[in-house]
Amino acid sequence: MIGLLRSELLKLRTITMNWVLGIIAVLFPVAITLIVAATTGDDEYTLASNVLEVLSGTNRVAVMLLGVIAAVSITNEYGFGTIRPTFAATPKRSRVVLAKGAVVVVTAMLIDTVVLFAGLLGANAVLPTRTDGTSLDLLGEPGLQAMLIGSVVLAGLAALAAYGVGMLLRSTPASVAMFILWPLLVEGLVGGVLIAITKDTNVMRWLPFQSGFQLGNLGSGFGGEGDVGFSRVVSGFYFGAVALGLSLLGTLSVQRRDA
Amino acid sequence: MIRVQELTKRFGSKIAVDNLTFDVRPGVVTGFLGPNGSGKSTTMRCMLGLDRPDAGTTLFDDRLYRDLPRPLHEVGSLLDAGYVHPGRSARNHLRWLAAANGISRSRVDEVIALVGLEAVAGRKLRGYSLGMKQRLGLAAVLLGDPRTVILDEPANGLDPEGIRWIREVLVHLASQGRTVLVSSHQLSEMALIADDLVVIGQGRLIEQSTVDEFVARHADRWVRVVSPDATRFAGDVTAAGGAITAQVANGFDVRGLEPARVGELASQLGVVLHELSPQTGSLEDAFLSATSATVEYHSGVPA
Repeated sequence: MIGLLRSELLKLRTITMNWVLGIIAVLFPVAITLIVAATTGDDEYTLASNVLEVLSGTNRVAVMLLGVIAAVSITNEYGFGTIRPTFAATPKRSRVVLAKGAVVVVTAMLIDTVVLFAGLLGANAVLPTRTDGTSLDLLGEPGLQAMLIGSVVLAGLAALAAYGVGMLLRSTPASVAMFILWPLLVEGLVGGVLIAITKDTNVMRWLPFQSGFQLGNLGSGFGGEGDVGFSRVVSGFYFGAVALGLSLLGTLSVQRRDA
Repeated sequence: MIRVQELTKRFGSKIAVDNLTFDVRPGVVTGFLGPNGSGKSTTMRCMLGLDRPDAGTTLFDDRLYRDLPRPLHEVGSLLDAGYVHPGRSARNHLRWLAAANGISRSRVDEVIALVGLEAVAGRKLRGYSLGMKQRLGLAAVLLGDPRTVILDEPANGLDPEGIRWIREVLVHLASQGRTVLVSSHQLSEMALIADDLVVIGQGRLIEQSTVDEFVARHADRWVRVVSPDATRFAGDVTAAGGAITAQVANGFDVRGLEPARVGELASQLGVVLHELSPQTGSLEDAFLSATSATVEYHSGVPA
């Protein structure tokens, strides 16, 4: 299994596009967070949580990009036909699926850890002292630890979900479009319709990505009056179950269909 | 030794491989022939478990492919030289394959040198010609020093030097006692390298035999006669039951009589012969004859 993990890691890191996406995934949230931190420090109404919410929000972009890397790691294998030499080298397909899944999930979590710590420590360093002499302290903000851990878990689960979508659809354009549009468009539309019908904003908690994004929030729930959304942990389990379900369905598909 | 047993593969209502059974013995090159769409590539994919067969098994030295712990050490396969990521270098392509089967990096460099790609091993594969990709594919085949080699059209895109090289490699591998199964449409090449043949049509086995037996069974045979008295002797041959089917310089081709009978006739009539030789059609002739009933895509000649 170690050899297989090495093989899958080698595949992942020998494609330039993965590096490009990974670098964008790091630079975008960190840059935005640093800019916000550097330019809002004089505002006496600015809170540490404002800066952290910027980091949490922009980190979702990183999560989506890392998910794209995960989806493309399998769809490109089918697109370029390398899945055949892959399965010729390792005929037990479940081992390939497991190794590749482990590599993309761990990679996503590691890169997201870099994003979060670079954004957090960088922002804390550039925050100017306020004109009234007080200073913002991002590191002492309540809920920070939960936000950081939740964000990293979110990155891993989103990569797992994207990987599952990739295994099911096998097509790079279709998988990437579905993975991007699902949280950004489909859940927005479906959520809007559901809220209109039920008059309950918390119905959004049943939408997998909306629920999953709670993992990376500084607070928890959906922030509404009388919020009864899932807690961070329950949201994580719910999104995790969806991601695991997608990857299990994808694994079944890979097992049964011709390579 | 490869043993294919009752292999069947359907795509919807179409039967691509139909209860196919054949053996491939070690120590010789076995040609795998069939017209376009006859199921050769599907059969090879099923043998390796890449396509899921509806029925049947393939055993490699009495073991199923999926039971081989490190298959590249047992079976080297090249089904399509295009199965590479264009953004990856040749060296990295071989490295991920090697890593999956616990093969060292030094072996990667060895096979790169063996196929003559050292100078371009670091280049992205999008810049490779088909011939270069074929060489890379063969490097992948040799990576684990396997006892069995399966190649689908390995000479496609190769220049004459490359074709000769791959011919020598295959013959060399067979001479080492390995099992070598090669599909090819280049029948003249196959005639040069193959000892055995497996011929299929519409997914079914047409024949398994040696090349010589196959040609003897399916190719046309005739006798060539060259003589200073060719015109007169042609009449005598016809009277004896032969059919003159072609005229050559100072001679003719005759069918329907064995060479010995033609020789005896010449002797009886006192005809001087400059040539009396049995002629046999090529492997291509034999192949076309054997598969004519199973050709799926018929073509015509432009008017």
